[in-house]
Amino acid sequence: MLKAENQVPRSRYVIFNLAAFFFMAVLAGRFFYLQIMNYDTYRKRADSNRIRAVSLDAPRGLILDRNGEILVDNYPTYVLYCIPGEMENREQQFGVIGENIRMEKSMLESNYKKYYRTRFLPAKLAKDLSFDDLSRIEENKLNLPGVFYKQHPERIYNKNVRASHIVGYMKDLDNNAEEVKDKQSDYKAGDLIGWVGLEKQYESTLRGEKGATFYQVDAFGREVGHVAERDEVAPTPGENLETTIDISMQKTLERELEGLRAIGIVSIPETGEIIACASMPDYMPELFRGSMSGRDWSHIVSDTNKPLLNRFANGLYPPGSTFKMLTTVALLNNRKINPSEKIECTGFYEYGDRVFRCWNEDGHGFVNLEQAIEQSCNVYFYQTVQRISLKDLWTVWDRFGFGKKTGYDFPTEAKGTIPDRDFMNKRYGRRGWAKGNLLNMAVGQGEILVTPVQMAMYINHLATEGRAGKLHFVKGKGGVSDSSPHYSSPIWNRIRDHMEKVVYGLRGTGKSANPKIEGLNIAGKTGTSENPHGEPHAWFIGFGEKDGKQVSLVLLVENSGHGGEVAAPKARRIFSEYFNRSEIKMAEAQK
Amino acid sequence: MTLSRKISETPQTLLFIPLFLSALGLWTLYSISLDQGTALAQNLFFKQSVILIPALVGFGLAFLVSRNLIHKYIYVFYCLTLAVLAVPFLGEKIAGTHRWIDLGLPIGVQPSEFAKIIIVIALARYLSDRNLQMQYFGSLIFPTIIVLVPTLIVLNQPDLGTAIILMTPLIPMLFWVGARPFHLFLFIAPILSILTAFHLVSFFIWAGVMAVIFYFSRPRLLYGIGLYFGNLFLGLLTPVAWNLLRPFQQKRILTLLDPDLDPLGAGYQIIQSKMAIGSGGFFGKGWGQGTQTHLKFLPVQESDFIVSVMGEELGFIAIVIMLSVFTYFIFRMSRSAFESNDRFSGLVLIGFASIFLAHVFVNCAMTVGLIPVKGLPLPFISYGGSFLMAAFMMVGVSMNLSVNRTG
Repeated sequence: MLKAENQVPRSRYVIFNLAAFFFMAVLAGRFFYLQIMNYDTYRKRADSNRIRAVSLDAPRGLILDRNGEILVDNYPTYVLYCIPGEMENREQQFGVIGENIRMEKSMLESNYKKYYRTRFLPAKLAKDLSFDDLSRIEENKLNLPGVFYKQHPERIYNKNVRASHIVGYMKDLDNNAEEVKDKQSDYKAGDLIGWVGLEKQYESTLRGEKGATFYQVDAFGREVGHVAERDEVAPTPGENLETTIDISMQKTLERELEGLRAIGIVSIPETGEIIACASMPDYMPELFRGSMSGRDWSHIVSDTNKPLLNRFANGLYPPGSTFKMLTTVALLNNRKINPSEKIECTGFYEYGDRVFRCWNEDGHGFVNLEQAIEQSCNVYFYQTVQRISLKDLWTVWDRFGFGKKTGYDFPTEAKGTIPDRDFMNKRYGRRGWAKGNLLNMAVGQGEILVTPVQMAMYINHLATEGRAGKLHFVKGKGGVSDSSPHYSSPIWNRIRDHMEKVVYGLRGTGKSANPKIEGLNIAGKTGTSENPHGEPHAWFIGFGEKDGKQVSLVLLVENSGHGGEVAAPKARRIFSEYFNRSEIKMAEAQK
Repeated sequence: MTLSRKISETPQTLLFIPLFLSALGLWTLYSISLDQGTALAQNLFFKQSVILIPALVGFGLAFLVSRNLIHKYIYVFYCLTLAVLAVPFLGEKIAGTHRWIDLGLPIGVQPSEFAKIIIVIALARYLSDRNLQMQYFGSLIFPTIIVLVPTLIVLNQPDLGTAIILMTPLIPMLFWVGARPFHLFLFIAPILSILTAFHLVSFFIWAGVMAVIFYFSRPRLLYGIGLYFGNLFLGLLTPVAWNLLRPFQQKRILTLLDPDLDPLGAGYQIIQSKMAIGSGGFFGKGWGQGTQTHLKFLPVQESDFIVSVMGEELGFIAIVIMLSVFTYFIFRMSRSAFESNDRFSGLVLIGFASIFLAHVFVNCAMTVGLIPVKGLPLPFISYGGSFLMAAFMMVGVSMNLSVNRTG
């Protein structure tokens, strides 16, 4: 039956060929569209497909003291990572790792979860590996596919001082951190970030800029080598932070306050440079660096002395008698007292049906303003304060910067409380308070709460006639202070004179603050502030001046008794260290 | 007829072109296998080279066998094919389908690839045996059934790509043998009615185009009106029927039409393939230099997406050469079909040409994102045993039938 003739008309043959040509032309057109017309677009897309930028960490800036000595340094540690997609049996491998670096398997497991990014990006497992750890990991390398270690700079601290509340610490960001979730930021899980203190305040300065190296990756995200046509971008190291801290003063201050619940701030009144600053008890700054065990953590948190509390920034205290100079300013400025006027102190003062006591129960006898400050007589102020209003007092407090932040370069700062009319009305009702409340406030008690940093600002203003610089930790961050009390020179001079009497006067409460150095003048004031937590807090605030060089000091020892007995002797040793040391230094410089 | 006369009279380009394309394929496969293990058993280039041997043997047999034998036993083979197509349904699924027969060999065999040959020849015999009155629509029904039965089996495997390929020779062959274009149009019309039904504007345009075609084709009035509104009705009914389906049934059909809807696919293959081709540019990135290929962004690069590898590494220039060669190959087959002095041979040649054309078009169109992924290999170039062998056997039969009988 193969006889049937082929009778295809030419037209059908042509149509068939045309149809075939049409289909092929459509294809060719499409290839032209993709490969010629859209070549650039697809080329770029293919490149972004295969090129992965891997960030290179910048070395963090160091934190230096005012003389360039290192407070916080970097040193290389070894960090263990794993690439999840390249591991074979995670459970079992974590077991092997745990045995070899003496770490609990559950800790590895939880780190893995915290720092997991994607299957083919490294997740941090453990840090601070010792050389023994490394060699044991190296021995087991064959059993640990996808596990590797990398050198990583970590913080190391000056052995001589702690300064932990100033410099603060860093924190590992895990994959729940906001900085990591924020796609704009270049923080990745496992990165460190300044979390507290100057590390936090100057994070952007210290951190530097990450660099990038470009890897070629395959479709599974595995790195398969460098990209030849793109150069590596070197990281920009973080800038060093030159602080105003003086390591040897910091050391002296910390030694003085060791074992106490106390605060000390040493600063230069005119410029506002903080030379030493301590909040005790503190903690070893290394504590937050390694992987802290749960037990260490609960130990710190449950410590009733609260070592983690930054007392100079967040502590709120009644200022006690140290506030008497402010009452004096208010009285003198409103011309309500004659400084030579004598007022009798019998050890107590009755106002209405209440009895207000002086600290000296035997009474000071007849005292004028100078004596009242020298001996810290309460009764003098109980009586004189009745001549002015709460508004008068509040204005002075406010001008000295109380009740608001000083704006120093630190991430945390409390505001404190200075009561005004509204405050008192709110707390006691319109008729619930009266002039009697002023009696307490005149001696720095009652509703007033201050921070030690505000007190440093206060004493610096007293030392500079209201022209103190803004407090700061880092060189160049000072400038004009936010508060600027303007009063006449006679007022400033009188107060300074009376404060010198506190230290040098026969009956001065701050006599034991006198280091007896030739040419050194110290003006100060003690304070013994009643508080609901037990024994009174002991205060000493003051400034010393020698050869035109000033330094100020704020000291507070919680629940320890009289300022003159507890705080003043410490002040003496700190002043003596400061002025003797500068003597030695000057001598050295002359040689 | 002596062998030497057969060789000298046959269009030898029909062999040289596939050999050239196979070489192009092997060259591309060699590039792909640069990333693979050195073990020969896993090396695509090596495996494909080995597969070429039986493929060329198949070609030789198909070329040498007497055309009378082919003609005589084709219906037997057709029935056997139907049986064999059903065999995989008895076995386990391989890669989620009943496409493969496990012969205990390292390579599975896909009977549907060989069904392409058998169906075309069987259809050619049916159409050439009788002096059919092709101008009547009724004459088209039995040929359609010949094609439709194996197609439905394959569709159930499920293998939509191959099913489409099995269907494609029908219309060109009917056209070749003299069917009225309007009747062939009626074959396609219901499919277009259903497809356009999901898009209102398309549906109105289609209704208008259909009206014009009906008007100029002048069928008998009642038939014409009935068919026209039958088509419209089918289109209107489609969305209703669609909504009656359960969601999982809808999903099954959609996934059959468009595997991208499979969440794991998610358009990934097409995107990567377009990126590979587009980034190749005019001259390509150079042999062995394709980043999409060698970094494994490109899926199934050795078989269905081998054009993407060529496009990326060898560029537009290589693609144009390849398409031109294919076009010439198809033209050469249709010329043999036109010049053939018996109807059977001409029909077989035109059927095979259609199958090659459909393969090239569907494969390339899918890699450049013109149509959904269908999973069809590119003739001679793609890696894969069964189809390579079937393709070379088609070439053998084509060259065999291109030699005109004397007298």
